[in-house]
Amino acid sequence: MPINILSLPVKDLQYALDCMDLDDLLAFSLCSKRAKNLVKSSKVEVEKIYAEVDENRINLKISTSQLQKWIWYGKRIKFVLCEDFSIKFKRVDGFQKWENTEFTFNHLIAHFLSLSNTSMIRKLKIKNGNSIAYLDTVKQLIPKCQFLKISEECSREFTKIAFLKLSSIGEIVEIDNNPLDNENYISKLLSLNLKSVIFNDFVNPFKLTLDDLLGLNIARLTIASINITERELNRFLKLWMKSSHGFYRPEHISLLIRNGINRAEVLRGIKYQIVDNKHLLKRADGKELLIDIGLRYVIFKFRQ
Amino acid sequence: MSSTEQGTSSAAPAEPTTAPESAAAPEVPESFYYVHGKDKVVHKVSAGALQHSALIHGMISNLGYTEEQAKANPFPFENIDGDILQMVVDWCNQHKGKPTPPEDTNLPKQKEKLFDLVLAVNYLEIKELLTYCCKQVAMMVKGKSPEEIREIWMIPTDAEDEAAEKEAKKRAGKEAAGETAAAAGDAK
Repeated sequence: MPINILSLPVKDLQYALDCMDLDDLLAFSLCSKRAKNLVKSSKVEVEKIYAEVDENRINLKISTSQLQKWIWYGKRIKFVLCEDFSIKFKRVDGFQKWENTEFTFNHLIAHFLSLSNTSMIRKLKIKNGNSIAYLDTVKQLIPKCQFLKISEECSREFTKIAFLKLSSIGEIVEIDNNPLDNENYISKLLSLNLKSVIFNDFVNPFKLTLDDLLGLNIARLTIASINITERELNRFLKLWMKSSHGFYRPEHISLLIRNGINRAEVLRGIKYQIVDNKHLLKRADGKELLIDIGLRYVIFKFRQ
Repeated sequence: MSSTEQGTSSAAPAEPTTAPESAAAPEVPESFYYVHGKDKVVHKVSAGALQHSALIHGMISNLGYTEEQAKANPFPFENIDGDILQMVVDWCNQHKGKPTPPEDTNLPKQKEKLFDLVLAVNYLEIKELLTYCCKQVAMMVKGKSPEEIREIWMIPTDAEDEAAEKEAKKRAGKEAAGETAAAAGDAK
C-alpha cells in the first residue's frame, strides 16, 4: 500500500529526504514540481552538468554533493541517452533502463539545469563521433554550453564538420585535433563569429597566414601549435598600426609557434613602448596592442 | 514486550501486567507510568523506557505524579492507533537504558503502519525512533524510477496539483461569497 509522503510533517519529510541517496533523491525530484522544490530546499547541491557524445549515445554526468553530518559528500550521477532514445540511469548495482518513461532527455537536461540554478551545461565533449547526422540531434538537445570540446579521438573529417555544426553552441570551443588537410580551410574556421576558440594539436601544427589573421572574427583565439613566419606577423602589425581595417574584432590572440620566433624580426620597423617587459603599440585612433613575445609564443592583447 | 489489557478505560485502568525488565535491572525500584491510545488499551511503561519520548518525559517532570496517581490517570494519546502505540512502547522497552544502534531491523515492514508510526513518533518526540522510521521511509524508494516513486509515495503529478489548486481556489471563492451573502443578510 502506498503512503502519502507529502502529508508528513515538513520536518519529518525533510529528514526522510536527507536519508536518501543522491541518485534516489534526483529520481524523486523528477516526480513533480513540488518534489523538485523539496529537493532544492534540501541539503543537496547540483553543481555542474557535463555531457559527452560517445558515438550515438550521450552521457549526461551531473556533479552533485550532499551534506551529511556537517560534511559535503560528492557524487557524480550519470544518465545515458541510448541510440534508440531510451534513457538509462546509473544506479549502485548497474544501469536501470527507464522503459516507457514520460521523461525525455531534453526534459532531464532542463530539470537538472533548474536544480543547479544554471542556464547551460558546463561542458559538452564530443568524445568519439561517427555519425554526422547525430550532430544535429546533439545540437537540438544541447543548444548551449559553456565549453565545447571536440576530442582528438574524432577523425579529421568528423572534427571539421563537428566544429562547423556545433561551434556556435559553446562559449569556449576547443578542438584537440587539427582537422585541416587543406591550408586555405583554416580561414573559413577563423572567420566564424565565435567568442573563444582553442585549437590544440602539437603533433600536426596549424598553418596560419597574414590573411587568416586579418580575416579573424573570433574574439579570443589560442592556437597550439602553428607555423607562421616572423615576416607575416610583422606585416600584420604594420597593417594594424596603419588602421587599414577600422574594426578588428579579436581581443586576444595567443599563438604557440612550432619552430620558435625571433622577436626582433617581428617588431622590425615598428614603434613601440616597453611596458612590464611587453611591447605596447599605440595607434593614431587611440587603440592599443600589447604584445608579449617569448621564444616559442606570441600573445596579442588588443585594447579598444 | 509489554503486555496490555484490552478495553480498559482511561479513567479506571485495570491491573496491566508489567513490562519485562531488562537483564540489568536497576537497584532502585523503578517507577511506572501508563499510556493509552485510540483503542483505550492501557500500557504500563517504566519511566526509563519513557525517557525516549521528550513529550512524555516533559509531562512526567511537570506533573510530578506518584505511581498511584499515574495509574489512575494514564496519559491519553487519542490520536495514535492502539497497535502503533504498542509498537512505540515495545521499542521504548527494548531500548531502555541502551545506546541506540545505527540500524533498527525491528521496525514494521508494512508501509501504511510505518507512515502512522512516523506521525506518532513525531508527536511523541522520540528522536532516535523517528530517525529509523525516516530512514525506512527513504528505503522504500531505493533504486526506483520516478514513476515508481510517484506511485509508492502517492505524489500527485503537476497536472493533478494544478487541478487540486484550482478546486481549492474555487471552493475558497464560494465560501467567501457565501460569507458575504450571510453578512449582507444579517445587515438587513
